Amino acid sequence: MTKSKKEIIGIKSVSKIYNLGDTVVKALDNVSLSINENDYISIMGPSGSGKSTLMNIIGCLDVPTKGTYKFNNEKISEMNDNQLANIRNEKIGFVFQTFNLLPKLNSIQNVEVPLVYSSFARAERSLKAKEALKIVGLEDRMSHKPNELSGGQRQRVAIARALVNKPSIILADEPTGNLDSKSGSEILNFFDSLHKAGNTLIIVTHEDSVAKRAKRRIEIFDGKITLDE
Amino acid sequence: MNRIINYLFDVIRGVLFYFSQTKLRTALTLLGITVGVSSIIAIMTVLATFEKTTDQIVSDVRTNVFYITRENPIEVSFGNNNKWARNKPKITWTEYEQLKRSLKLIKNMSAVVSEEPSDRTFSVGKKEFKSRIQSFWAADGDILSLYKYDIVEGRNIQDVDINNRSRVAIVGSDIKKELFPFKNPVGETIKIDNIPFEIIALTEEKGELAGQSMDSMVGIPISTYLKYFGGNWRRADLQLVLESESVEGIDDATDEAIGVFRAIRKIPPGDPNNFYIATNDQLMDTFGEFTGYLKTFVGLITGISLLVAGIGIANIMLVSLNERIKEIGIRKALGARRSDIFMQFLIEAILISLLGGVIGIFLGLSFGNVVALFLEQSPVIPFDWVFYSLQICASMGIIFGLYPAIKASKLNPIDSMRFE
Repeated sequence: MTKSKKEIIGIKSVSKIYNLGDTVVKALDNVSLSINENDYISIMGPSGSGKSTLMNIIGCLDVPTKGTYKFNNEKISEMNDNQLANIRNEKIGFVFQTFNLLPKLNSIQNVEVPLVYSSFARAERSLKAKEALKIVGLEDRMSHKPNELSGGQRQRVAIARALVNKPSIILADEPTGNLDSKSGSEILNFFDSLHKAGNTLIIVTHEDSVAKRAKRRIEIFDGKITLDE
Repeated sequence: MNRIINYLFDVIRGVLFYFSQTKLRTALTLLGITVGVSSIIAIMTVLATFEKTTDQIVSDVRTNVFYITRENPIEVSFGNNNKWARNKPKITWTEYEQLKRSLKLIKNMSAVVSEEPSDRTFSVGKKEFKSRIQSFWAADGDILSLYKYDIVEGRNIQDVDINNRSRVAIVGSDIKKELFPFKNPVGETIKIDNIPFEIIALTEEKGELAGQSMDSMVGIPISTYLKYFGGNWRRADLQLVLESESVEGIDDATDEAIGVFRAIRKIPPGDPNNFYIATNDQLMDTFGEFTGYLKTFVGLITGISLLVAGIGIANIMLVSLNERIKEIGIRKALGARRSDIFMQFLIEAILISLLGGVIGIFLGLSFGNVVALFLEQSPVIPFDWVFYSLQICASMGIIFGLYPAIKASKLNPIDSMRFE
């Protein structure tokens, strides 16, 4: 890790505490983490370890109870709902385990969804969506709906959707969890190439084989980071 | 501004797409509103037609004319006939003659008995008039000028005819067309219930009013009518038509007529009139009152049905919200703001009620104008009610879409995305 790289994510002493009646659950306990441009990171941990909470906070879907979170030097921990929505829309590309495509929309329309919320004109939206689908190699499946696509193809549509707004980071949550090993490794190869092209990737997983692809490995247990190498 | 319009178009396009995916549900939701709005528009169209028709009828008679009758003809014809009104005494010939002698402000006065329509047979030789004669009247005085009929050929009924109870008749152009197609009817004989009458005049063609021919008309002297068709003519129920000197003088003339008629009937001061006196304006007012009640009633009923339809919308919106929790979660994760989701749901509710409203307006206009067609009126569009309906629909969409929209906009993306 060289110092010349720009820091994208700066998490300092962040805790996430849930009050469930009598018991207090510390999903994240005083976590600090710095992620730079073009990092390729895996976050590992068993279920209940807090990795999902960390991912939600990194993805601006949730805000920390304590601590500060800076994204491109902007203080996320102090933003309101709308500002968070804008960050998610413009800076973060999500890839989910269950793809989370909208079933009634075809591939192009699905990829266009983030662009709708960043108020691009229609013609421009469809142009960008087609470009993104070409990058993931689905130019011949543009007007197919999710149920007409294989698992691997669906995940590629989801990746195209994540890429379409040229985000600062791509955040993937168990991206191969619902795929067979062949399409899983295809997706991972694609992530490798995205990294080479200069993207910043964070992959949350519990599979060692997935984690090995990443250049940096973070392990989390009981709300604390136990390994960062 | 351009951005906002673009944004709205996007939302509307999205909502329309969603409708196209859930056609049956959308149609059923529309139905409630469509029924409500179409009934409101249909009834308002029919009423507008009625109003137009009565306007024509009334404006066809001079405005310095007023009537004395036993009861309010409009109330009677709409069935609003109370017992008291039926117990009012008939207007007799004696009373008519007394009035005629006493009134000073009246230029022209007629007593009329009419059968509208008449069930009698009207024939020439062996040829019988096929349909019913719409107006068989018998009058004293110059009723033709009061009702604005012009004589094309022949002469009017004169005092000598009244005094002699002559069997003379004035006929409308329908009678000439059917019974004397190639002949001048004046001077010929027409039989009414087999009693021969000499035709003394043919009136100018007036055309149709509210689907009824104004020319299907036969008139004879009132004394002759009472002699041949009236039974005991001293007990006949007369309608009196009076004409004041001028339009401005009509109020004084009616006051005088009321005073004199009360004196003739010896009605004690303070007691109500036991006869009905009406100017054309009053007749219009009575009709207006009646349609006013009808409008209130219709408004109430459709108000309730629209309320029920609105609750239906709210219900459907909540159902579709529950179905789309995951979708909302995904959209929020991908950058949808609260306001985006809120607008999506609100516009969906507004569009669905407006769509229902527009369909309802078209159905209502078509139905109402079918009625107008039967009344042989030109088509009517009650623009004010079309406008109100659209307004009502839009506000219904807002009111009943608000809660689901707020609820949807507040969903948390993390939990919603996990929702199955």
